[in-house]
Amino acid sequence: MLSSIAKPFAALALACALISIVLASLGANPFSVFAALGEGAFGSWYACVDTLVKSTPLIFTGLAVSIAFSGALWNIGADGQLTIGAIAAGAVGTHLGDFPHAIAIVIILSAGALGGAAWGGIAGWLRARRDVNEVISTIMLNFVAVQMLSWMVHGPLMEPSRAYPTSSPISLAAQLEFYFAPSRLNLGMLLAVMLAAVCYVLLFNTSAGFDLRAMGRNRRAATFFGIRIPALTIWVMALSGALAGLGGAVQVSAISHRLYEKLSPGWGFEAIAVALVARLNPLAIVPAAILFGALDNGSQAMQRTQNISPELVQVIQALVILIILAFDTPAWSGLRENIFGASSDDAAAVPPLAEMPDA
Amino acid sequence: MLRANAITKRFGRTLALDGVDFEARPGEIHALVGENGAGKTTLMNVLAGSLAPDHGEVLLDERPLQAGSPRAALAAGIAAVHQSPMLFERMTWEENLALGGFDTGAELLDLAGVAARARALAAKLGFELPPAGTTVENRSVAERVRLEVLRALSFNPRVLILDEPTSVLAPSELSAFLDLLRNLRAEGRIVVLITHKLAEAIAVADRITVLRRGRVVARTTPAETTEEKLAGLMIGEIVIQPDASANRPQPGEPVLQVENLILDDHTGHRILDQLSFQVSAGEIVGIAGVDGNGQTELVELLAGVRRASDGKIISSGAMAVIPQNRDLDGLILDMRLWENLILARPLRERVTSHGWLNTSRAIDLSRELIERFRIRAPGPETIAGALSGGNRQRLEVARAIASRPRVIVAHNICRGLDLAATAEVHRTILDFAGAGGSVLLISSDLDELLAICGRLLIVSRGKIRETNPNERDPERLGLLMAGARD
Repeated sequence: MLSSIAKPFAALALACALISIVLASLGANPFSVFAALGEGAFGSWYACVDTLVKSTPLIFTGLAVSIAFSGALWNIGADGQLTIGAIAAGAVGTHLGDFPHAIAIVIILSAGALGGAAWGGIAGWLRARRDVNEVISTIMLNFVAVQMLSWMVHGPLMEPSRAYPTSSPISLAAQLEFYFAPSRLNLGMLLAVMLAAVCYVLLFNTSAGFDLRAMGRNRRAATFFGIRIPALTIWVMALSGALAGLGGAVQVSAISHRLYEKLSPGWGFEAIAVALVARLNPLAIVPAAILFGALDNGSQAMQRTQNISPELVQVIQALVILIILAFDTPAWSGLRENIFGASSDDAAAVPPLAEMPDA
Repeated sequence: MLRANAITKRFGRTLALDGVDFEARPGEIHALVGENGAGKTTLMNVLAGSLAPDHGEVLLDERPLQAGSPRAALAAGIAAVHQSPMLFERMTWEENLALGGFDTGAELLDLAGVAARARALAAKLGFELPPAGTTVENRSVAERVRLEVLRALSFNPRVLILDEPTSVLAPSELSAFLDLLRNLRAEGRIVVLITHKLAEAIAVADRITVLRRGRVVARTTPAETTEEKLAGLMIGEIVIQPDASANRPQPGEPVLQVENLILDDHTGHRILDQLSFQVSAGEIVGIAGVDGNGQTELVELLAGVRRASDGKIISSGAMAVIPQNRDLDGLILDMRLWENLILARPLRERVTSHGWLNTSRAIDLSRELIERFRIRAPGPETIAGALSGGNRQRLEVARAIASRPRVIVAHNICRGLDLAATAEVHRTILDFAGAGGSVLLISSDLDELLAICGRLLIVSRGKIRETNPNERDPERLGLLMAGARD
């Protein structure tokens, strides 16, 4: 247990060490760069809150990815699902002025979840009924979602003055309020943390979650013992999509209040890294997402004070992933296999283990 | 001369090999026998270079081999055929064989040439090869082993090590296979045969080495020993074979009825052709046949994994299915023991209420079953993949019986198991039938079926036929399995 927590941090430390060499060779002082990074992420109350705000969409998408991956469904489409969820929320959100706040919030978040579920469900259906590899379909659906958002803000949902490619702001009733204004901390973070606990319970304390994990570890055996793989595939992809879509709706409701192009900076892809660092454990998604949110948040301060490009943080994140993939955990062999074209239910994916003799 | 000196290999806290010395001479078939977990496969992996020993060294003609390098072993002329076939599922058999010595190493891959050379060698051995261009994933276990043997022989090796190759061969293939081994010996090669079929070891080997718990307990020759003596050496005690005829109640009412079952594959090829049979309460019915004659599909139909093209399966009670491929279909090797047990619906229901899984109840139930079925594991939290083959099978049998079914359908459940484990599984099956349960035992091992089945059916090319008691000699049954019509 300890090592499972320590490993991601060891990977992070190693990534930072490698980056330090590059920084030093370019004449920068690695210590002041990382100090600026930390300062930007956690240096003040406001910075801490902003880190949490930046982490929130990563928790939603991280959960989406970890649920799907637990069932060996390689959902690379959390970004598209989040985008569709945001579109649904943005479209519905402008019409909620007459509703009480609580009900408007429930409606706008439900719209986001349903939108994401539909988007994930399409990939699930394609996999279950037409045997279309979900890696391909979810990547393709990402493009469709991005273009759909672009069309929406240039077309049907464009604000009335037609001056900017954005939608009209959502009704005040549908906006999640900020606590401790002017900081942007909102109910979305709390919802995300609660959902992490729900996902954990679902995976490890319910019969349905057991089916899901069994499917993820050995599709053939799961089939043999009466687990209905096609139906489960559709449900899991829909659930995964719903989590991502909810993240999109929270972003619209709490932060952006309207739709615009490139709403997501790639949360759905960063989520794969988050899920990896968390080793698919929904509870660990929260700290992993905060870690990545902190790196994102700190990168701007790093640029301001040290004149280091914020993209450096993406290099650190990528190195963390590579280090973990290279040195860690059979749970990921499925993804590795998938990238190389074999599916995870192959005989080859069942790892040979040392035999324990009978005596 | 192939020689292994004082090989020691440890896996975690388990001492798999403890100072094992082994030697095999050119022009000899050397049988290596022992129980599951005795260290046979580990020794083979050390000899073939796929495992580096903790201590000791392997020498070929007094030249030490680089430890842990299969490539070096192969270059020195040591080829191995593994127990679980090591093939590429999604590639055709020709492509799989191209990785062997059939390929000429030219810039362009000559698959047609590979196939032609493979067919020539297969014809010499009396093997049948799959249709051209088919992938390995849908081939039977027997076909896979044949491909592996071909691949190993394609290297023209000086040393050929075979891990339980005969357990999946048909009787008609077996004698040809043993002749092949004799031919290889006559050519001055070294053949190391790992087997648990003692009669076979005595029939074909020049010398026999017996392993028990990672140590060599005897070195002997067929002339000096008997099957009983070998069995005693292997397990350290005398095995009492279950007596099938004792205390068998009269069969009761039919429990499982299969009527005119037809299965066509997606190309329209008929796999099962109008199968009809029934199994009554308290009865053990065997289905004998060479692998690949529709047995796997029949089991899948019975398990409800596949849909029949036509016909009926009527079961008047719950059914538990033990699929043949423990590690792929029966168990989830990287899940815990208790999780594997609750894969079975009836057991899951006992630890689930309103969809909530009661983990501690599942663990308690598993602890109980581990004890009752004498599964040797540290506890319910053990990962299934850490168990030996015999204990994995105990786990599967325990799960089936604890599910309290009326019918158990079991497919090749004793494949790869040693005598003691086989006897124990048979004992459990017999007890189940003795208590009124019905068993359909599908196996390619005639000895097993003859030992414990009341009635015996033969399946060949998707057709099934019942045997008469007077047909129960292995030769006649072998003919029927090969497809002879009356």
